[in-house]
Amino acid sequence: MAFLELENISKYFGQNAAVENINLSVERGEFLTLLGPSGCGKTTILRMIAGFETPSAGNILLDNEDITNRAASKRPMGMVFQAYALFPHMTAEQNIAFGLNIQRKPKDAIKRRCAELLDLVGLSDKGGSFPHQLSGGQQQRIALARALAVEPKVLLLDEPLSALDAKVRVSLRNEIRHVQQQLKMTAIYVTHDQEEALAISDRIAVMARGHIEQLDHPEEIYSNPRTVFAASFVGNSNQFRGSLVSVREGLFQSGDFLLRVPPQQDLTDGQQAMVLVRPEEMSISPTTEGEVTSENSSGNHISGVIELRTFLGPFTRFHIRVNDHLILTADIPNQQSRDYYVAEHVVLSFSPGACQVLPLDSEESSIVKQAEKETV
Amino acid sequence: MQVGSQSISQRATADAMLSSQRKDQSTRRSFGLDKIVLILVLLYLLIPLGATFVFSIHDGKNFSLGSFQRIMSDADFLTTFPFSIELAIATTILMVILITPTAYWIQLRLPQARPIMDFLTLVPFGVPAIVMAFGLIQVYSSPNTLVSVLSLGLVPFLSNQLNVVNTPPLMVCAYVIIALPFTYRPIDNNLRAINTRVLTEASYSLGSGWWRTFLTVVIPNIWPGIISAALLTFATVMGEFTIASLFSIYTFPIYLDVTGQNDPHKAAALTILSFTITLICVLGIILLVRLRPGGARKDSQIEIGAAK
Repeated sequence: MAFLELENISKYFGQNAAVENINLSVERGEFLTLLGPSGCGKTTILRMIAGFETPSAGNILLDNEDITNRAASKRPMGMVFQAYALFPHMTAEQNIAFGLNIQRKPKDAIKRRCAELLDLVGLSDKGGSFPHQLSGGQQQRIALARALAVEPKVLLLDEPLSALDAKVRVSLRNEIRHVQQQLKMTAIYVTHDQEEALAISDRIAVMARGHIEQLDHPEEIYSNPRTVFAASFVGNSNQFRGSLVSVREGLFQSGDFLLRVPPQQDLTDGQQAMVLVRPEEMSISPTTEGEVTSENSSGNHISGVIELRTFLGPFTRFHIRVNDHLILTADIPNQQSRDYYVAEHVVLSFSPGACQVLPLDSEESSIVKQAEKETV
Repeated sequence: MQVGSQSISQRATADAMLSSQRKDQSTRRSFGLDKIVLILVLLYLLIPLGATFVFSIHDGKNFSLGSFQRIMSDADFLTTFPFSIELAIATTILMVILITPTAYWIQLRLPQARPIMDFLTLVPFGVPAIVMAFGLIQVYSSPNTLVSVLSLGLVPFLSNQLNVVNTPPLMVCAYVIIALPFTYRPIDNNLRAINTRVLTEASYSLGSGWWRTFLTVVIPNIWPGIISAALLTFATVMGEFTIASLFSIYTFPIYLDVTGQNDPHKAAALTILSFTITLICVLGIILLVRLRPGGARKDSQIEIGAAK
């Protein structure tokens, strides 16, 4: 039995299902992230675990104890909010001590614990400051210390970095991970930022429309997505919609292009599907104008014209127009990207092994469109 | 390269000087107009007050504090003034006890009820005090069957058993209704400004229950709103005439009216006295708001402005 179990959890707001039949197991000391676009139900799940919402159906078990109907104040959870939620009339130290005072801990023990936590989050000199005297990052560190002060069994983090600027976000997420590992704390983290989720988590639950699309380790989610939504939402990808010509030989027809893909066992000939290729799997080479897709070689080759060239530090991103409807993206290491410029004709190449083939049904198409909107 | 950077820095300095000169000019230009407007507003406010003060200490021939002395030795003043203060304090306390948890509960659990509260708090503006006073007297003097049923028997009980008609307790209840627009809104505005829901949830997650959260997290953060509400309630009660008159209860405003008809110099002195008391109240509130922990925040400044 896992440390925290969600069994068939559903939550309805009126007629609308925010989440439906969620089953989730979180191990002790694990860092699990709920990742998905807004409205997918991730925050609702977190709020049900915290006790701020009551599930319409299902049970929540913590350490083999049913806590489904227990009041929020009686649950051993610490929560960090997107809006920091520090008490404005208290100093940083008083904020941290708030939960300890409720637990009626001795005064000197509270003082010691506050100093310890301020040290842990690197703000030993800010104990006497009021929240409005601290930066956003510092406020969130204090909020983290306050949540940890009561020694919760589970730490819940609701998009804690969303309100911070990019640089602080990266450093603070590393700190959160470091602290979580140091304390071996079970943590559930909610975010819509896939990069954040990949960087920080032991496991990620990719969510869409109140369901968990895929629950796996970050590497697996990225390199082996099991649904079109998971593939579209996590990381960038080039997408080819079409149908499988031959599952045995691994041939996929998308418009004018016949792509070589790995042979498929679970799919059938003629089935509608989507092929995804990560931009970093693409390579480019020079070509003469008008060259078309090569179907004879072992890989996939598509010609196009560079429309946009964006230098992104370790690599350069090329947007290559293949035809009137399709622009493909290729992330090329800088050593190989120097000779290519806008308006130049090039050939994009990628191996069949780089292609992920995922079956496509009508419902998934609409979810994918939503995911694409969210990741833009 | 050096030449280039020098010229850039020189240009930047020149630009800065130019903009500072322009700023000075515009400040000088607007300074005159600002000052004139300010002086006019101050004159508009202070001349009547000054004239009243002069009238209160000048009996037509000599300057004297006789009118103030007459007030201090007037038995009616010594009865009605403390009595009105008692009424004002009772109303303020009842209002704070009733409205603050209600506004918090609506903010937290019943946001859909906010339009109803907005409407209810506007009703006292729409219903003249005289109508309300007549209504109260009518309902509590001879409660009919409909009133008995609608009030679940409370009105007949209060009327017959406790005989509340034309008593200060019923008047305090009426004052709470009259002061509702001035009290609910500052408190509600403060609750909206502090992100009540998230603070409450943060408090819950740290093991605190509803009451402790309300008393230790919510109240200290909406303190400026409560103070503003209390001040406005206090001032409303201290100046309320209609209901007291129809209830035939002798309060300070009625004493003021009676005095004004008999001794205008004394009435002017009373006006100055009332103004001074109000001023002391406002200054006290500003101090209270400033002295609270973390009190130098922007929202406090707004509330201080509102209190002023």
